[in-house]
Amino acid sequence: MGYLSTICILSCINITAVLGLAVLTGYTGLFSIGHAGFMAIGAYSSAVLFLEFNLPFWLVLPLGGLVAGCSSLIIGYPAFRGLGKLRGDYFAIATLGFSETVRLLLNNTYPHFGGAYGLTGIPPLTTLPVAAGVALLALLGAHNLMTSQHGKNCVAVGQDEVAAQMMGVNLFTTKLKALFISAAYAGVAGALFGFYMTYLSPGNFGIGLSSDLLAAVVFGGMQSLIGPAITAFLLVSIPEFLRFLVEWRLIIYGILFVVVMVYRPQGLLGYRDLDFSRFWRMVHGLQGRG
Amino acid sequence: MVFFLQQLVSGISIGSIYALLAVGYALVYSVYNFTNWAFDAFMVTGAFAAFYGISLYHMPFPAAIAFSIVMTVALAMFVETVAYRPLRAHNAPRLFMMISAMGASLAVVNIANLAFGGSFRKFPEITAGAYRLGGVSVGRMDLFAAGFACVVLGLLWLFLERTRFGLGVRASALDTVTAGLMGVNNNQVALIIFGISGVLSAVAGVFFGAKYAVYPYLGTVTIKAMIGSIIGGIGSLPGAVLGSLLLGIMETMISSYISSVYRDLFSFSILVIMLLFFPSGLMGAKRVVKL
Repeated sequence: MGYLSTICILSCINITAVLGLAVLTGYTGLFSIGHAGFMAIGAYSSAVLFLEFNLPFWLVLPLGGLVAGCSSLIIGYPAFRGLGKLRGDYFAIATLGFSETVRLLLNNTYPHFGGAYGLTGIPPLTTLPVAAGVALLALLGAHNLMTSQHGKNCVAVGQDEVAAQMMGVNLFTTKLKALFISAAYAGVAGALFGFYMTYLSPGNFGIGLSSDLLAAVVFGGMQSLIGPAITAFLLVSIPEFLRFLVEWRLIIYGILFVVVMVYRPQGLLGYRDLDFSRFWRMVHGLQGRG
Repeated sequence: MVFFLQQLVSGISIGSIYALLAVGYALVYSVYNFTNWAFDAFMVTGAFAAFYGISLYHMPFPAAIAFSIVMTVALAMFVETVAYRPLRAHNAPRLFMMISAMGASLAVVNIANLAFGGSFRKFPEITAGAYRLGGVSVGRMDLFAAGFACVVLGLLWLFLERTRFGLGVRASALDTVTAGLMGVNNNQVALIIFGISGVLSAVAGVFFGAKYAVYPYLGTVTIKAMIGSIIGGIGSLPGAVLGSLLLGIMETMISSYISSVYRDLFSFSILVIMLLFFPSGLMGAKRVVKL
């Protein structure tokens, strides 16, 4: 049971972070190679708020998300200002630089953050119900967001920036909001991760983690929440059963990135989304038959 | 003063490696308007090819460089054909290009990591010793690297300005579609550009490996080259060289006068500042100097 619940908790954490990235990359079309940086900020800020300021657990989770969201504006504000095709590339390189910088700073800040030794003594408060509850809330929140006007703006920006602007969508605020939400999701996921592992080290939040998150979104599909959520779960659980392939993981991801982009750019469930009404109809149908 | 000059020399030496990579970025960008995210994979291939050429097959250094260039160009053309060309053919969104390139780089770098191991290897000594100029010592290898970089960039300029293929590349840089209509073979131009990127990143990889160490993740320095090309104004080749040299010098100054821990923080802040205040870079505003 312990083993199974480990996989489930890690899946829920991964799903929360991946949903955030799906909002940014899948819907708004912005490529982030440094989402692990936001997870690191959420994890460390919530742990420090808990340990040093004695704030309750239920409060430090959203606060971790808030801090991560605010920190994302440091790169979002300069990168989204102005137009130009290369803005997306600038943004991607800025996310990479940002996450590397965060890791570097955490590695060298010994008071309160533990530096390269890591931050220890975090109580194990992330239980399965907490993680599953947060993941479910995250899914519902992202679904509501993406069916709102803001979500439609995000899709428009992702499809064609010029056309979206012509229709009166404010590119700057739409992108900035999407980034803020996405980073906040990653921050909450990072906070859950810290309170699950009970130990944080800057090495946990490297480029490998960013690639994992990106892989879930790319394989799960563009403009979909349920697709990335499913692949996020699969990417945590499958490697557990394929231990012998663990060294090959990033190689396989890399090759699959190319294959998916060339042969099936929409991914597993691209452009298809949660339809709760269909779900309820199905439930009612089953009840009717019973 | 001597200390300052010494740091200036080191800065130019690392800056010249950034410059090779930054020119590669600028070249691909100027023609296809997208950033080649697979550059780190090319660089790693170049460094490892030269390292194993020398340490396993006892090649002389020039042969090792040639071997490294051949291997890297082959990889670059392979990546172009497999990961980019099908996407270009059906006008895929830029996001897909980025993901595909990221995948190619992830695969190659991790294959290198798995096949050769993640350890840091010392590059075999090529030329030791240093020249002394009034108290400032200039490493023979650094001098050689900077000279070699100049020669490669000079040859590239000659190729672009003086040959038929170069003309095709410049025409595509102005307008890819029109150039295609005028009889320029766009796929051939793409292969040429990626071949050139391969040469540039192989040379950069070899000299970076020789200066520091050879390891699978050495390609992460390409982020510096990208910052260099943004400082210079992306898409401009002279800008890329200038920006990279400036970044190399500033980084070395920060490391020696403040702390080497904050060197990368500084480079990243430069990126943010450039994006905020000089989005078109130092030389990017003049569209005339696109190539």
